[in-house]
Amino acid sequence: MAETILIVDDEEPVRQTFREWLDGAHLEGRVLVAGDAESALVQANQQTVDLAILDWNLGAGNDGLQLLEDLRMFSPEIVAIMITGYAHQATPLDAMRMGVRDYLDKNQDLNRNTFLKAVQKQLEQIRPAKRERQLHDGLLAFREAVAKILPLVETAAALNDPVPLPEAIGTLFRFLLRTTGARDGVLLVRSVDPERRTERCQVYDTAGRVLNVELVPFARSVAGSVVSLQEPAAMNQLDQLAATGSIDLQPFERGRKSLLAASLAVAANTNVVLELFDKPGAFGPDDHRLMGVAADFGAEMLRQALAERQTRRALCDAVAAALSASESLVQSLTGTPQQRKEQPPPDAVIQRLREGLSAAPGAAVDAAETLRLVEAVRVLALRHGAPAVQHCIRLVESLRSLLDTATGAGN
Amino acid sequence: MADVFDEILSLVTPERLLRDPRATGEGVSVCVIDSGIERAVLEQKYRGKGQELHGIEGGIFTADRPEPLPYEGRQSTPHGTTVADIILTVAPRVRLYSADIFGTQGGCEVEVVIRALRWAIDVWKCKVVNLSLGVPEHRLQQVQRRYQFLRAIEDGYYKDVLIFAAAHNDHPLTRSYPAAFAPPLISVDKQLFDDPLQFTYHLHEQIEFFAHSRGYLGPFANEPATSWAAPHLSGIAARILSLKPTLKPFELKTILYWMFTGSRAEQK
Repeated sequence: MAETILIVDDEEPVRQTFREWLDGAHLEGRVLVAGDAESALVQANQQTVDLAILDWNLGAGNDGLQLLEDLRMFSPEIVAIMITGYAHQATPLDAMRMGVRDYLDKNQDLNRNTFLKAVQKQLEQIRPAKRERQLHDGLLAFREAVAKILPLVETAAALNDPVPLPEAIGTLFRFLLRTTGARDGVLLVRSVDPERRTERCQVYDTAGRVLNVELVPFARSVAGSVVSLQEPAAMNQLDQLAATGSIDLQPFERGRKSLLAASLAVAANTNVVLELFDKPGAFGPDDHRLMGVAADFGAEMLRQALAERQTRRALCDAVAAALSASESLVQSLTGTPQQRKEQPPPDAVIQRLREGLSAAPGAAVDAAETLRLVEAVRVLALRHGAPAVQHCIRLVESLRSLLDTATGAGN
Repeated sequence: MADVFDEILSLVTPERLLRDPRATGEGVSVCVIDSGIERAVLEQKYRGKGQELHGIEGGIFTADRPEPLPYEGRQSTPHGTTVADIILTVAPRVRLYSADIFGTQGGCEVEVVIRALRWAIDVWKCKVVNLSLGVPEHRLQQVQRRYQFLRAIEDGYYKDVLIFAAAHNDHPLTRSYPAAFAPPLISVDKQLFDDPLQFTYHLHEQIEFFAHSRGYLGPFANEPATSWAAPHLSGIAARILSLKPTLKPFELKTILYWMFTGSRAEQK
């Protein structure tokens, strides 16, 4: 984006001359002119001004420094070149703080060359800073937009469920209850984390609602037996089973008389078991066959739902990664270029250095202290250049020599 | 004139072989590749019946480790305990090894089954391996994986190890492995008998034997299942092996076949 330059001078010939010099130099930028503070502010209200060329004394009691302060209300990053007849009287500190970066004295050095050189110098400094600001603003806008979208993409509950239950599973349940004559049923989902060696179980009723009950360990449950059987299985006298000591009944199984169960092969590290309860009489061979088909059908539904959920999770992960990356970028763009140079290296780099120093054989000084010294020298070099570092080395060598002499360590 | 084979076969009867007082499974190591065995439950049950078991050993097999994790006497699901109980009911003096392939991962992967099978054969030196856990056909789509599994079973055969596999053959579309790998192993389907030592031979769809399919302990034990049929035949084999431990798989299969045909002829 081209820069906008605003010329403010109460003398028409001066304005005209400056404009002609700028136009003739073919600078990439837009040139605005104003004869007084009010006109300048009106224009600044309409577009961002990057560089102002201001007459120190605008007449009618206005001065350029005051106008610059007002212009900053509209363009906070504005910098200025002051045109003055008495530059030696300027107040450099205040002016620098407000954004004055150069002075041109009407009575001494103001000509086409000095004017264009001063403008060119400021534009060269403005452009990279402006690009950074635009990138920064763009990133913030991106983050804001993504942060708004994220809740729409990510439904925490749905993503945390071991297996997302499509609504059709309720239909399957109703069909099974109606055709088998079972009175009730549940769907038990167990997901295993092989690395942490942990498991998580969730139980849903026939309407797909989560049952908040305290579950017995899967290894001692009826469902655990079903997943190993790999075929639908029925059991009568369910209430007497726990007495054998080999299993424990789940809370929703206690008090039931009969059970028909099947395992649904959905995904690795995931067990899904469908259980139907209390058919008047007993579950028969037809119920077994029906349950087998329903298990295949239900498994297919759940596999598809799982695949969809994995796609959503991948999208969420990508968005989260983008957010994280943009956050790093935003942080890296904070402060002035000089301040950014002086920022210490990233934590990961420091950590690696620390580990390397700690592991070095014969390390006499704590790694953190060594890193502090290195960092101090690095910042010294950035601020004051190579001579400062050479001076620092001489100081260290002098100190070592002094201490060697005092302690006799060098002998 | 009586057929010479009739004379020989008339000696190979269930009564003579399976009811022999020495046919207890003593001296026979049996590996239950399944979902683990709840040792304390079985020890308590058999102590209550006045029978002392050999110590049950084992390991937990996972996909990421070449060696099993220590077996601490627990089941991952009750299925394995029901299977082990059937074997002990038929042959109470066998030495059981629990290869838990279900473990923490909540399912059995083909690679884990192969690893457990090789461990049972080469490290535990088991003579009988019971596989009541099936592997769905879709997990053996890869030719390489299928070949590795078949090769492990054939290795067992050539090392004189008897592998009994449940034929989960109820599904209308897919076949169940490793039962479908017969004949290097003995595939077993379900049938109900009055006597748990009864079995039949009837070849159909690569399945050769039918054994009693009700268990005695745990959920679904009373439900006829191929998972319970395989350990019945494993137990029967252990009983015979305790009379002659060096029998080769084809010898034992022949004996089982002769016992069945002999008993059928007797019934006629």
